[in-house]
Amino acid sequence: MLTGAGGLIKELPARVAPFASALTLCVSAGWSGALLAPNLIGVFAGVETAWLAAVGLVALSAVRDNAGLNGAFRMLAAGGAASALMLLGAGLWWRAAGGGTLAMMSLAQIDAPGLAIAGVSLVLAALALKAAIAPLHLWLPAAIGRTRALAPLVLGVVGVLGALMALTRVAAAALPAPDLGAAVAAGLGVLGVASVVIGSVQAIGSTNLIRLTAYAGVAQGGCALLSVALGSPAGFAAGLVQIAALGAAALALLGGAAASGGSSLSALDGLARRAPLASVAITAGALSLMGAPLTLGFLGRWRMIEASVGADWWWAAAAAIAASLAGVFYGGRLIERVYFRRAAEAQEINRDPWRFALTPALAASIVAIGVGLAPAPLLNAATVAASMLSRGAP
Amino acid sequence: MSAELALAGVIAAPLLQALLVIVLSRPPGLRDVTHFAGAAVTALCAVLLLNATAQGEVARIAVARPLPNVELAFALEPLGALAAMVIGGLGLLHALHTAGMVRAAKEKAPARLMAFIALTTAASMAAAFSANLFTFFVAYQALILASFPLVAHRGDEEARKSARTYLAVLLAASIGLLLPAMVWTYAIAGPHEFRAGGVLGGRVDAMTANALLTLYVLGLAMTAIPPLHRWLPASSNAPFPAIVTIQALAVLPIGGVGILKVAAFEFGAALNEAVIAGRALLVVVGVGMCGAALIALSKRDVRERLAYSVMGQSLAVVMGALLASPIGFFAAALQVVAVACAASTLLMAAGTTPGGDWPRNAPDYAGLGRVMPWTFAGFALASASMIGMPPFSGAWAKLWLLTAAASVDLVWAAGLPASPRC
Repeated sequence: MLTGAGGLIKELPARVAPFASALTLCVSAGWSGALLAPNLIGVFAGVETAWLAAVGLVALSAVRDNAGLNGAFRMLAAGGAASALMLLGAGLWWRAAGGGTLAMMSLAQIDAPGLAIAGVSLVLAALALKAAIAPLHLWLPAAIGRTRALAPLVLGVVGVLGALMALTRVAAAALPAPDLGAAVAAGLGVLGVASVVIGSVQAIGSTNLIRLTAYAGVAQGGCALLSVALGSPAGFAAGLVQIAALGAAALALLGGAAASGGSSLSALDGLARRAPLASVAITAGALSLMGAPLTLGFLGRWRMIEASVGADWWWAAAAAIAASLAGVFYGGRLIERVYFRRAAEAQEINRDPWRFALTPALAASIVAIGVGLAPAPLLNAATVAASMLSRGAP
Repeated sequence: MSAELALAGVIAAPLLQALLVIVLSRPPGLRDVTHFAGAAVTALCAVLLLNATAQGEVARIAVARPLPNVELAFALEPLGALAAMVIGGLGLLHALHTAGMVRAAKEKAPARLMAFIALTTAASMAAAFSANLFTFFVAYQALILASFPLVAHRGDEEARKSARTYLAVLLAASIGLLLPAMVWTYAIAGPHEFRAGGVLGGRVDAMTANALLTLYVLGLAMTAIPPLHRWLPASSNAPFPAIVTIQALAVLPIGGVGILKVAAFEFGAALNEAVIAGRALLVVVGVGMCGAALIALSKRDVRERLAYSVMGQSLAVVMGALLASPIGFFAAALQVVAVACAASTLLMAAGTTPGGDWPRNAPDYAGLGRVMPWTFAGFALASASMIGMPPFSGAWAKLWLLTAAASVDLVWAAGLPASPRC
């Protein structure tokens, strides 16, 4: 991602490029901090750092009209509301359980269960908004729709993934708590299903590759949320694998879109002739979203369905199948355009040598998707992470 | 050559063939020789494997372990060897036919066409020799993705529309129905390999068995079972070499092989628990066979007529599998061979006309037997086999189907093999 971002920063005007670089690093640092913070206040600080940096990045990446700046403003407003809710939620939790670290959340002495549930729910809802989980994702299309390629890449890969991981972390801490678990699981389940359905429908109807990727990410995020809602080590591992798959697919699609020089679906027509490497990346991303076997996306779906069937959550397994079916439609459309259509107009091939900066990003995404053939290291890592997250789960 | 090497070769050879055809696409002669040579190597490996099976040899190769305790593996077994022999042997003839057809019809992007035919062959071989359900599913998906460009080959709006139908129906069925069935089976039986006698026997109650059977039969839409048969007439818009691959040499036969593998190696005795679903699906198959025959009779376009005719024959394979008896399985396997031989001959003959400007409608074929006597003699023989006229292979397959139906006291089903006689 950083290599790709480095290439895309060159698209920005020279006077803002250093600020964009710094903000990109701030986004990464903020989400990393949120994942490492020991308590809710630390998580809040990391999340806000990342979010505000992302808003700045979107504003800097906007092309010369008001639409992009409007997107940044909507992102700021939505994020502000979410931050307020998150802070309120953290405060309610503190009041109900006396604070403590995330690791001790399941063991905390809860004096007021209602307050605790409300507090944790507000925190999770705020994180869900920042992870672009439907129906809280309305800021996303405006934020990425009219910007240069850098913002969608950073938001889509780092931002959404970071938020999903933070949400997973907080949910994993809350689910084992006897007073919280059932309510949190129910809430995450409802959000997950809604996200799968809404994201899939919007992705199918999208005519812009970046928006399609964003909405596909919404649907995949919903699947990850459903896995986490299971509350078991298998569910957490499945969620982590799906988040990895989402990142790889998003990187492939967004990197391919950036290399192709256009974001509308019609710009993909005949791309296989003009930019073979970008076409391969887009194909790999589309196949992963479909859940085609031997891709990371398939691995995530399989683990999720396994975990859902094991917990008798048949409806969650059905949601995973529905997400895959939707992926067939919108992913298949991409592959058809790339390989089986001719460009309507002569498209100028961008021979800018700095385009090669995107190649490592594309190669990394292809490798990540090809991990489906030898996923043992990833699965082992996910299992270890899940067991750490679920310490104390039944 | 050892059986393991032949097993690897029968899948790797067409993959290499696909790559080489693209790389060596000029001059056209080199492309055609490469295509034929690849098909020849594949056929040779298939012969060796059939011989190895007859000798009782065992071979297994594991390629990867994509899931815990689940391998991507291929194993030598009689049904797979039979299917491979049919696909490989007829594929050799088809390679010659393709080389001639692309020149005569001045087909666009002939190297691409040949490459995807080779990829489709590779996926078919992988499915035929799959050692477990997961490998079969992977190969099945690969077959869909490899054959879809054949339907879209011409690149015009009609081809794209047909390709969308093809991909949508097959992928939706495999992901929406076959995948849940597979996961459910793994949840019940744990990681396992295909095993004669099945793995679900004694592990499932009637309701589960019925639900699973329904999911599997409908999920394997490559058998062209209604209502998931729309992909088959859609594929008729492809170039003739592609139609031969899809309808005779790869997709339809693998659908039949798949249903047999599921019935014999997954269900086994559990088919006796799924009586309700079995009978209901037999009715669907019967309606499909009769309907396909009637629709075929109504079509003037030869491609569509042949597509529906082949559909009816393919459904007879499903019928044999659903009869849930050893005779039924044997009859179904025989039917796979008979249909592949007859369909490939019919399609290759129908597409071969003077000057490459082939007639579209059946009445336009009048008198062509005098101009191309050998070609249409083959057409006549294949037609006779397709309708089950002795002494051709189709007759014996149908006879065994009748016997199988009678052996399980389904007299009404015994009349079904007689229906697609158009």
